Amino acid sequence: MKNLKEISTRLEIAKKKIKINLEKKKGSNAASLGTALKISTELVAAVIVGTTIGFLLDNWFGTKPLLIIIFFFMGVTAGILNVFRSAKKMHKK
Amino acid sequence: MALNPMHQFEVYRIGPEINLGNINLSFTNASLFMLLSAITIIIFLFLGTKKKLLIPSKIQVITEMSYSFVAKMISDTAGSKAKPFFPFIFTLFMFVLFCNMIGMLPYSFTVTSHIIVTLVLAVVVFIGVTIIGFIKHGIKYLELFIPKGVPIVLLPLIVIIEIISYLSRPVSLSVRLFANMMAGHTMLKVFGGFVISLGLLGGWLPLGFSVALTGLEILVAFLQAYVFAILTCIYLNDAINLHH
Repeated sequence: MKNLKEISTRLEIAKKKIKINLEKKKGSNAASLGTALKISTELVAAVIVGTTIGFLLDNWFGTKPLLIIIFFFMGVTAGILNVFRSAKKMHKK
Repeated sequence: MALNPMHQFEVYRIGPEINLGNINLSFTNASLFMLLSAITIIIFLFLGTKKKLLIPSKIQVITEMSYSFVAKMISDTAGSKAKPFFPFIFTLFMFVLFCNMIGMLPYSFTVTSHIIVTLVLAVVVFIGVTIIGFIKHGIKYLELFIPKGVPIVLLPLIVIIEIISYLSRPVSLSVRLFANMMAGHTMLKVFGGFVISLGLLGGWLPLGFSVALTGLEILVAFLQAYVFAILTCIYLNDAINLHH
């Protein structure tokens, strides 16, 4: 009987320790590194997609340099928008 | 040739050449390692769930942890409505994770360091999520491209920007995984080459770097699988709950 009591008090102490550790770890886990890696490619991807669309439309309509320039800047805008949105999502958490 | 850091990414044919019309369907080392990681996952999950002990064995603990990890990730990011998609996301996560981790073994081949593999995975996610969005919301899903409170004059411009932003999802998803894996493995090979060329006298510093980089690469391998899965969950959340 005494043994069981000892175990239960030990469990209590261990649980408390885990709780303290969990609270300490908040905000500095691997997930935040993941979001950092995520944002960096988001900007580039939108620029690539925008420029590709511009290039394809240029080939299609035969308006060589015009659409690629317009869509490049639209891609940049979309990229910044993406980054802004992910940053906002991070902030909410 | 052994010193060339890009040599590790070469795809070559194993066995006979198989042609189906104009498509080359030969079995390559890339297919071998994809098959290998799929078989490893099956064996791992089979061993982990064979004996359901109350006090779990080591492998059972790992299996249960991977299950609860993915389940928690889905419920945190996409809510309870995304529960039916658990098998797909779990498969995706485990496949990417095992491809990355098997690539960390010496003399192996990293499947995810090829853009075509990651792009196909990302495009499957992208098309699947778009179809789910249209099934759940019908034509209303297109409202995703029209943010609230935009003046009507700016609407055409904003819609094009939103469409570009939507189309950039599979690109960013695939480029991230591919670039991280390829850069990491090239760097490992470059430092390995330094160890050889500097010899017994100066080779110790790059050897230390190599060891440190291997640890970093294992972290990146896990993290990229995690990011891939969590972004799939976020896109799924957009499709199911329709807001951004």
